[in-house]
Amino acid sequence: MIFVIAEHRDRKLKPITSELLVFAQRVSRDFGQPITAVVLGADTGAVVDELKARKIDRVIAADHEQLAEYTPDTYVDVLKGIIEKEKAFLVLIGHTTQGMDFAPRLAVALRRPLIAGCVEYEKQGDRLILTRQIFNAKMNMKTIPRGEPPYLATASPGAFPADEVESGGNAEVVQIPVEFRRSPQRKILERVDAPKGQADLSSAPIIVSGGRGLKEKQNFHLIFELAEAIGGSVGASRPVVDAEWLPREYQIGSSGQTVSPKLYFAIGISGAIQHLVGMQSSRCIVAINKDAEAPIFKVAHYGIVEDLFKVVPALTKIFKDLKQG
Amino acid sequence: MKIISCIKPVPDPASRLTINESKTWIKDQDLTFVASEADNYALEEALRLKEKHGGEVVVISMGGEEAARVLRSGLAMGADRAIHLLDPKFKGSDEFTIAAALANAIEKDGGADLILAGVQSDDLGTGMTGTMIAGFLGCANATVVVGVEANPDTKSLKVRRELEGGINETVELPMPAMLTIQFGINQPRYASLKGIMAAKKKEFKVWSAADLRLEDGQIGKAGAMYDVKEILIPERKSKVEMITGSPEEAAATLVEKLRKEAKVL
Repeated sequence: MIFVIAEHRDRKLKPITSELLVFAQRVSRDFGQPITAVVLGADTGAVVDELKARKIDRVIAADHEQLAEYTPDTYVDVLKGIIEKEKAFLVLIGHTTQGMDFAPRLAVALRRPLIAGCVEYEKQGDRLILTRQIFNAKMNMKTIPRGEPPYLATASPGAFPADEVESGGNAEVVQIPVEFRRSPQRKILERVDAPKGQADLSSAPIIVSGGRGLKEKQNFHLIFELAEAIGGSVGASRPVVDAEWLPREYQIGSSGQTVSPKLYFAIGISGAIQHLVGMQSSRCIVAINKDAEAPIFKVAHYGIVEDLFKVVPALTKIFKDLKQG
Repeated sequence: MKIISCIKPVPDPASRLTINESKTWIKDQDLTFVASEADNYALEEALRLKEKHGGEVVVISMGGEEAARVLRSGLAMGADRAIHLLDPKFKGSDEFTIAAALANAIEKDGGADLILAGVQSDDLGTGMTGTMIAGFLGCANATVVVGVEANPDTKSLKVRRELEGGINETVELPMPAMLTIQFGINQPRYASLKGIMAAKKKEFKVWSAADLRLEDGQIGKAGAMYDVKEILIPERKSKVEMITGSPEEAAATLVEKLRKEAKVL
């Protein structure tokens, strides 16, 4: 059995859940294992209906008012109970701020392997090989989980295409009773959306983003000048914001804004997966980086392997000249 | 408040990494090791909490000389003492066995009110080890933390977590707790010369697997939960068009292509 632990909010599945289902449907074909989606929550009807329409075998719903809000304690408790009762082969969880908040504890509770941040898998004989990215996506590591199943894996957001999820199943829905021996240690107090500052980039047609390759805050004017010359908006990668070169609202990536302009410049940005998920659907991506191995070139349409301190001023000059003449 | 801050030694980010002959790891013999970046944010947060509430900060790391090195830097930054888990038997550990050993060491040291680690390391980057420690110790946990407010009197914490899409959530949890600290939560301090001198006189414990009462099957490669089949440079799936020439030529070619080929200008 392949278990997919559904992630949902406001009575809707999150996109990562469809990605996990795609992962599960592929493994299911290769290993002949049925799929069960597991939903934890309160008032899960709408989410269960959404899952039921997918090509899977079963939906397990654990409905309880104490599960209305996610906590790692309740998730580990309930999931351990479900997984231990079955002949589980693989447990798929999102490599998200929720998934990675409980998956490592679930692996310890079950004393089973967890391969976190998977981007691919392969079948060798009857062994499952799970591939994850290491060293900031510069290398891939193929791992073979040891011992008997189940194996746990978290899937990197964006690694499996959500739009390839197959529908048309006739999944059986099983409501399971939930009992808690103790109340969760952690409780949620509030959840707030990030302030949308002047830098709302969601509708910007052209974005010029700078990263750590700019080396110092003082050098960031190069990005602003190019953006001005080309008539675009400025964005940034996480390290730039962490170093306080720019306010948080400029950040593009999984913990910042998701953008898809017609033209995106990634300048001095290596392309950590967290950045890529926030910009990879841009229509045309230009990467300028002196490291030819940088993962940003994997998603770029045009690449220049060169010192940005030479290329960017040259580009700015061309656009300024074009404007004037 | 007693705070334990975990530090992982990783190759200096400026190093050129190459894959070893057996393709199971990088060639690490000649590399310089530094503290994984996110662990610096964790240690800085630990030091600030101690400055506010009193208590002590203990840094802990597993590995050879590279671990001793990052621990000494931690002491120079202001930690009070260090615990070095050193044993050839630890070689080949994965996240699970490292977390098990760290959890044992934390218990042997009398436990802690708060255990901190970076949200993920610069090498494996999976963000598992810290949260696994919480699993082994059975304490509360929170990941991707961007703000910590401690109340030592009620033994509770309010922490802000950063979720996807810029959403933040505030959660309350009891101490002892394990937190993984997000990049950018603070600006880590540099060690002062005075700090470096003072570090030499601070307590520096070295514990082996036997000290932690860990059996051979629970540690290192023997205890690991997975085998590394192969490490490789991923093939590029995209058909990126690389533009060459001098910086001026490349810039001119790019603009031409953006206008005529991609038609986005």
